[in-house]
Amino acid sequence: MKQVFEVKDKALLEAAELILAEVKAIGADDGETWVSRSALTEVYYELAKVSMVRTVFTDKVSLKLLKDKRKGSTTLNSFAPEDIRLAVQEAWQAAQSAAPDEAEGIAELQENLSFSAGDELPDLNAMYGQLDQLLKDVRQDFPKISFDSIGIEHNFGEKLYANTNGVRLSDRRGYYQLSNMFMAKEEGKTSSFNYFATVYENPADRICEENRVRRLLDESQRQIVTEQFAGSFEGDVVITPGCLTDILYYVADTYLEDGALISGTSPWKDKIGEQVASPLINFELVAEYPELPGASPLSGDGFVAENMPLIEQGVLKNFSLSRYGAARTGLPRSKNSGGTYVLGNGDTPLEEVISGVERGIVMGRFSGGQPGPSGDLSGVAKNSFLIENGRITKPLSEVMISGNLADMLRDTVAVSQERENSGYWLLPWIRVKGVTISGK
Amino acid sequence: MLQDFLQAYVNKYGFSGYTELRAQQNRNRGVMMLNGSLTANNSGTSRGLSARVVKGGAYGFASGTGYGDDLEAIAKVVQTASSHAAFLDSRVQRGKPEFPAIAAFSRKDGFEHDVPVEQSYLLGIVDELDSYIAERFPKLLSRRIFARVLDMEKLLYTSDGVVSHSYVPRSNVYVFMTTQDKDGQPVELYDVMGGYGNFLNNFPNAQDLFGKLEKQYEQVILKAEGVYAKPGIQTVILDSDLAGILAHEAVGHTVEADFVETGSVGGPMFGKQVASEKVSLVDIAHNAFGKLAPVPVFVDDEGTLAQDQMLIENGILTGYMHNKESALKYGHMPNGNARAYDFSDEPLIRMRNTCILPGTDKLEDMIASVEDGYYFTDMNNGQADSTGEFMFGVPMGFEIKNGKLGRAVKDTTVSGVAFEVLKTADMVSDTVTWTNSGMCGKKQSIPVGMGGPAIKVQINVGGRS
Repeated sequence: MKQVFEVKDKALLEAAELILAEVKAIGADDGETWVSRSALTEVYYELAKVSMVRTVFTDKVSLKLLKDKRKGSTTLNSFAPEDIRLAVQEAWQAAQSAAPDEAEGIAELQENLSFSAGDELPDLNAMYGQLDQLLKDVRQDFPKISFDSIGIEHNFGEKLYANTNGVRLSDRRGYYQLSNMFMAKEEGKTSSFNYFATVYENPADRICEENRVRRLLDESQRQIVTEQFAGSFEGDVVITPGCLTDILYYVADTYLEDGALISGTSPWKDKIGEQVASPLINFELVAEYPELPGASPLSGDGFVAENMPLIEQGVLKNFSLSRYGAARTGLPRSKNSGGTYVLGNGDTPLEEVISGVERGIVMGRFSGGQPGPSGDLSGVAKNSFLIENGRITKPLSEVMISGNLADMLRDTVAVSQERENSGYWLLPWIRVKGVTISGK
Repeated sequence: MLQDFLQAYVNKYGFSGYTELRAQQNRNRGVMMLNGSLTANNSGTSRGLSARVVKGGAYGFASGTGYGDDLEAIAKVVQTASSHAAFLDSRVQRGKPEFPAIAAFSRKDGFEHDVPVEQSYLLGIVDELDSYIAERFPKLLSRRIFARVLDMEKLLYTSDGVVSHSYVPRSNVYVFMTTQDKDGQPVELYDVMGGYGNFLNNFPNAQDLFGKLEKQYEQVILKAEGVYAKPGIQTVILDSDLAGILAHEAVGHTVEADFVETGSVGGPMFGKQVASEKVSLVDIAHNAFGKLAPVPVFVDDEGTLAQDQMLIENGILTGYMHNKESALKYGHMPNGNARAYDFSDEPLIRMRNTCILPGTDKLEDMIASVEDGYYFTDMNNGQADSTGEFMFGVPMGFEIKNGKLGRAVKDTTVSGVAFEVLKTADMVSDTVTWTNSGMCGKKQSIPVGMGGPAIKVQINVGGRS
């Protein structure tokens, strides 16, 4: 919910105002700070049992100051005035030694606003009940599944951005999150591990009713005994939504974000308005989206975030640049800080995405090296299945793929109608042609 | 240095049941320069207190950021942990007895290395390296230098009477160089220097690093002129960096007792031949080969006195890494593998310094023995699986043709099943090299050391046909 600026926890406001006053008093031209107070409560399962209840109370401060475009910054986890004064002095000393950078600055004055969502207090009984129910459901429906760990967390925090231009923005937010790692095992054999994470607002949700969860657990049960093939071929790769989030992360990091554009290594640096991907690709970074409680309403550099398309019908529309990155490159600043991905669905039913493959694989997880600056990547196609003549025929292991990120987006030939939602991302299955797939 | 407020708390309140009480401070510094511009100039401190209480086998944990002389604030953290343990115990009713008591001891480690460094010193080193690269290496498209410091200080009191105060510093400089190949495609290579120790001792001046920069530049130019590796199973000599990550990713994770309990391949293979008899693998606690290991752990975060944990001895899987609970369950001794990253983290079963022990072969003889294969020298990341299947990135390597090094190889990946690959190890070099820059991810990230000699194996290479 968006409202006029109001910070509930006055300690945050007092700490932020003290920081900005100290920044000015020490002689800095500009300064900004993030101040937050949060509580995390977790029910944790490991070593085949619900093992722990954990609470983490955290106060956090980060601050940046500028003097003649020289930057110093520091972090601490105390609101005590004496600690704050020391931190400002440390940042000041760091700035004295830094070279000036004309691109440095802070967020310009804008409307001061506050946002809020979710529950403030954890419902520990409901969290325990949700974990217990998940374990019972999995034991009954997927008896070969073994969890290495499951964490159900409730996170609540209020954070405040303030700077010497007068900007004041805050966000007060509570949400639940489940993360885990699991495998399937039977008669001394094990599947590859897999995991899912989901963000949600209601601890009464029955996790095992979610289609994505059931699909992943079912696939692991079918991957206990795998096959390998010899040699290599060029074929189609159907990338699942969970795997696609990793591929899109690499795309953003390699072609669209600060590092690649400031260094000038991005092959897309001059391609705004040009076709860089298949017309089937619609890739958006979102700040507010129905059913995505993981999206953030504030950007990391002190702006109210908005949704922003990166690629529309294959045409590059925007880069994902911070305020600093934008100033360094002369390109527009991103409307949000990225990380929450939405890929538009296509018009091909998932069944047809697969049935259109003569020879290829379904890739459930990619385990590979960080792509080079050109986007070349290679790695293991984990949790994968062989597709032959339009049918999934067998689970595979020790399969590698190699290709190039830009080529993969350009060579996307189908996008599914169906999408999956983790609370952090909303993504379909895509089919990419002409990928080198190699066996043992 | 952290002041000891815990002693006063223990004197006043004592402990009720099994309890670990830990104050911790992680100090970090980071300076990054990209093409001559300072893009990061940070320092920070994460300081706080945590308590873990065990009741009937149920764990309660709590932490807070206010660590000081307010004993009531310490008591509140302990009480929250106790009430969590009581809540969970009432639900699970496991009825487990407390861990066997151990003899009390007290020790202090590492503080001779606590030498403060100013941010300006990091900036000076980075600036000098950047200028050297800018002036000397004309074919670079971009350059990036990152200096990083992470000092971890822990003060632990346990209900067994263990008191441990430790300080573990780490400092690194990373240098990334990017050039272009003949098609105009960017080609990158990075190097990392430093490791255990404070920044001043590891980097007394920038000039000492110039030789390494020259070698890195020479290599990135060779890589730009290089070829893609052939895909499929190849004869490969994995140099120390890669042998170290093989030890960590491919074997280490599968023999962490929590992973074994879930069903990793390390479970059914205990006591069996999992590698060539030339391979022995150990997780070192704090000292190896007459020197301090990269990430020395003298006492872990459960208060266990740390010792080396043998994992593979002459090819036979002989041990797992444990915390107190898993050791009790398996009837083994805990050897100090329960580690937490931050004050707000609970101890998990973690590696410390995982290392393949040296053999007797000379690297030049190993290269000479390969008719058609590769010599891979660097790694950039890696992942392992419950099945023992692993992969890691290879940013630098060379062809071997008729026993001689040939053309450089562009970015590739190697993968395999750990125990199958290690069974093919037929030559192991006589020299171990450590790396100390990696963070291992497993709920929490934590510094680890990795080491090894060069090993010659048959392994799957993710090249291009």
